[in-house]
Amino acid sequence: MPNSNLGLDFLARTLRTIGIVLLIFLPFGVYYFGTYTALAVFSGGVWGIVNLIFLSAVVRSAIRPEGIDTARLVVALLVKFPLLYLAGYALLKVPQFSPLNLLIGFSICLAVLALKALGRALLGLDKGPNKSDNLGEAVR
Amino acid sequence: MDYQAMLSLALPFGVSLAACGSGYGLGRAVGSAMEAIGRQPEAAGKIQTAMIIGAALIEALTIYALVVFFILQGKIGG
Repeated sequence: MPNSNLGLDFLARTLRTIGIVLLIFLPFGVYYFGTYTALAVFSGGVWGIVNLIFLSAVVRSAIRPEGIDTARLVVALLVKFPLLYLAGYALLKVPQFSPLNLLIGFSICLAVLALKALGRALLGLDKGPNKSDNLGEAVR
Repeated sequence: MDYQAMLSLALPFGVSLAACGSGYGLGRAVGSAMEAIGRQPEAAGKIQTAMIIGAALIEALTIYALVVFFILQGKIGG
């Protein structure tokens, strides 16, 4: 079962989960907290997703057994460090967006990532096929 | 020393401390990941994923410090 271990597809599934959480939050946030608050949290979350995508691109192209994929690394670094951080700065300077709300959105990404990784560790989902009779296998 | 002066000194000091800490942490994480991949290349995918999770969390701490800097920067009067 290739989707079951902490492989590279784990991040893709985590990013999808974060996107779903943010999309679910958006209408409720608009209703309960107001449009700008919800949009700020959503923007912070989207920024976090894009940051995570480029962080994984940097790691995958720089730290791998085949050697550095220079072209991909340069593109990922150029997009992540100047452009993405400038976008983050621009979001912080939007007068309607509170920095705290942006931070909450960004933290949602990290919370989902940490909880998914922690859940896998606690349920023992990465122990391999010889542990197939444990609780983790049952809830897989 | 008044509040404004303390804030003006503490803010850049705090951000630079956070940057130093996360730089050191990331350096150690990358070094260990390289070593682990060199020792066990077939586990590269798992090591990369764990490395990305760790790097995201380390980077987040610096971003938190930076946002706190921007929040408190507005409180420094001219």
